[in-house]
Amino acid sequence: MHGVKRIRYTKEALEAKRQKDRTKLAEYLALTDEVLTKKKHADWSKAAFDLTTRLLQVNPEFYTVWNYRRDILLNGIFPKTTPVEINDILATDLSFTTAALKLHPKVYWIWNHRRWCLEQVPDGPTEEDPNGWKQAYWNKELFVVEKMLDVDARNFHAWNYRRVVLGSMPVKRPLRAELDYTTRKIEANFSNFSAWHQRSKVLATLWEKGELDQVKSKEDEYELVKNAMYTDPNDQSVWIYHRWLVGTGEDYDILIREIGAIQDLLDIQPDSKWCLESLVFYKRALLQYHSARMSAAEQHNLIDQCLEMLETLRTVDPYRRQRYADMRKEVLGARNAIA
Amino acid sequence: MDVDAAVFGTGLSESVAAAALSKAGFSVVHIDANAYYGGNDASLTFDELIQWAHERTTPSEDKEPTYISVQKQRYTSISRSSETLPQSRQYSFSLSPTVIPSLGPLIDSLVTSGVSRYGGFKLLERLGMFDRPGVVRSVPSSKEDVFKSRELSLVDKRRLMRFLVFAAGQFEGTMELTGRENTPFFGFLRDIFSLDERTASSVAFGLALCVSVQDPTLPALQRLRRYSKSVGRYGPSAFLVGHYGGVGEVAQGFCRTSAVSGGTYILGRRLLSITQLPSQGRTEKFKEVGRKYAIELEEFPERLTCDMIISSPDYIPSELSSHASAVPPPLSSTSGTPTDMYPVARCIAVIDSPIRFLATGPSPETRTSGDTSSDEQAPQEKGATGEVDTAMLIFAPSSVSGGSTTSAAHMLVTGEGSMSAPSGRWIVYLSRHLLHEDEKTSSAEELLKPYLNATMSLIAPSISEEGSALPIQPIFTLFFIQNPLSAPPASDAASTILVPPPVTSLVSELADAATENAEQVFWKAAQTITSARAERKPQGGEGKGETPKDIEVDSFWPPLDVIDDEPTLEEW
Repeated sequence: MHGVKRIRYTKEALEAKRQKDRTKLAEYLALTDEVLTKKKHADWSKAAFDLTTRLLQVNPEFYTVWNYRRDILLNGIFPKTTPVEINDILATDLSFTTAALKLHPKVYWIWNHRRWCLEQVPDGPTEEDPNGWKQAYWNKELFVVEKMLDVDARNFHAWNYRRVVLGSMPVKRPLRAELDYTTRKIEANFSNFSAWHQRSKVLATLWEKGELDQVKSKEDEYELVKNAMYTDPNDQSVWIYHRWLVGTGEDYDILIREIGAIQDLLDIQPDSKWCLESLVFYKRALLQYHSARMSAAEQHNLIDQCLEMLETLRTVDPYRRQRYADMRKEVLGARNAIA
Repeated sequence: MDVDAAVFGTGLSESVAAAALSKAGFSVVHIDANAYYGGNDASLTFDELIQWAHERTTPSEDKEPTYISVQKQRYTSISRSSETLPQSRQYSFSLSPTVIPSLGPLIDSLVTSGVSRYGGFKLLERLGMFDRPGVVRSVPSSKEDVFKSRELSLVDKRRLMRFLVFAAGQFEGTMELTGRENTPFFGFLRDIFSLDERTASSVAFGLALCVSVQDPTLPALQRLRRYSKSVGRYGPSAFLVGHYGGVGEVAQGFCRTSAVSGGTYILGRRLLSITQLPSQGRTEKFKEVGRKYAIELEEFPERLTCDMIISSPDYIPSELSSHASAVPPPLSSTSGTPTDMYPVARCIAVIDSPIRFLATGPSPETRTSGDTSSDEQAPQEKGATGEVDTAMLIFAPSSVSGGSTTSAAHMLVTGEGSMSAPSGRWIVYLSRHLLHEDEKTSSAEELLKPYLNATMSLIAPSISEEGSALPIQPIFTLFFIQNPLSAPPASDAASTILVPPPVTSLVSELADAATENAEQVFWKAAQTITSARAERKPQGGEGKGETPKDIEVDSFWPPLDVIDDEPTLEEW
């Protein structure tokens, strides 16, 4: 971490560590040998199972041994046990993977094993409630994925897994709860494409189902996004979400209002690339969809504003100056289309 | 006993220096007049605290030891309530309440020296500003805070963010700062960043921990940057509070490491005399090979001899003060806080109900953020009640009626979570710098009463039988004024009596400043001792006794002896 000094150790201390490591290595190699031999002989016993536990504790990245462990469960242990016992074994394995993930949060094989355990959960606990166990596990899973997102809210694998979990639950969670979750994540740090993306999906569904009044809800969203814009005009995810809200720009009043709000921000932050770029985009939308409301003079005015902003953009965002030059050509083309 | 250095006082600076010297291979004897470690930074049990106050309020006697008479100059206007608290040993009262920044010299030294293994720390839970009785407002310090704030207008949010980004980066030499480094920080925020008064107050007093509107800009910006970089290292707060009373325990940890490396510790002995030994022809009588000083302690049979003395002014007898020199303070960002030369009014109080940091008046409503079905996933926060165990509260100037209109005051509360109080009890520390002459005639109690009352207003009142609200009172209070002592002149010349420079009493800077001073003392002492040793090396090759081994010192702390094991799954 920045500013943190490295700790220095004496030669003796380093040598002592090397010795300890040498012993550990010898033990590890012996254990690996034992486990792989058993695997070769298709040993599905409990003793073999326990050996895989020991080995995976030391090295959870050893995917061959995870495979072997699953084979033991499927061939050796599950056929001899009741659903209740299977459930218990899976619970133990899941908590094993949780502990492993705390130390190794990015190892695919641990995640795989987790998912496999969840897929193996038998119907139960009773005939009347066949989904009880599954629901409990998926609830727990949601809790785990939330812990992951607490640690790194921008981990798109975790967001993806979250959608898998929400989709796999026998009894689905209310959409409103998911909306609140995205609110929390956005409030914590709105520089988060995944959170805004999830939010847009949830809102779209809520609007479609009529559970939320689209007009009022959109107003709240504009307010939220405006706060984010003013807090950090450089954050791209905010502008992309805004673009989604505005849509094609068919609502004239909203378009005018938003252009005004962005212009106000540009006034106090004149070098903001995103303000300029968005203004150009929205003003062009005005020209495209609402020219009927404007006189020719007004339209020419808009075009001049766009051209001026594009010119500023070439200085403020020089990496994309060719793009702005292309846009300039398009805008000039629009000039000819004015009646 | 014959040593290279004698260190007097086991305060934080002296303890860090002693530990570094011992680890480097020098022989050290470390002496404290008290029966406990920590000196002026000590952590005391309740009974020890009462005794401490008593010793400094009894009328002076004729043959009073230097230590006690200097202590009586240091600590004045002492008054306390008459209660006695049970469970005395479960309290750790700090004479120097501090919060330690997560990135800084003390943390570095704790880790590099291995002393961090000896102690525990608690992350500060909250830092707020007193708004009005019963109400504490948050200090917006991050993008998240600014975004979520409902108080700031959109334009204010933009301005504050612009400032925070500026303050987190390389502001030295920027156009905004050049020429304004010594102008008041509060004015700088208003004029250059157009922050409104309330936001400027939050930034200056809540983030940069200024004590007055006159505090200069550059040191304030440097503090602010250091604190904002400290956020996230161990958690959402920039600051740690040491277990068992903070820096007293830390100082003790350094003493322990010093002892492990060969340092000798002598506590609870009065210093009788320090004698300079004649420089030519050291006599056979004392059997040392030319040491410079002899020290006599009460009820200690051996005479101690050493080449140099490191001491706070509390121990140096007047005859020797002209020979002492202060180590020049380090040219770092912790210097320049103008607080080191001002008296501080302090209060230590004990309460038996928790303090609450609430943003709106104390109402039992909790915020609902949407559907109630989302509550199952919303974290069950203790924060909903606002109760804090270990937190800091800042009183900006003019925020408390009857308080100062020009300087800020600080409140630190520590409870069971920081291992400094029994369950159901909290220690409240108040401090207020006395920057003006007219304040010096008031008693500590008068100066701090308004702040104590303001703090009490944050505790839920109890309801009497008739149903009226009774404000809570502390179950114990102690007030005093801590005065700066005049230090001997700083000089670069080699001196065999070294005094660490005075340390700022600013709650968030004290620990790091003491550590930096310790490092300065260490280098100076190492140099002085090495030349003293060289002097005593017999010329011409033959000599009586052993020639002392040459000690190479190339860093403040030597490499660690043991590598700690990393966490494994084997415990699962």
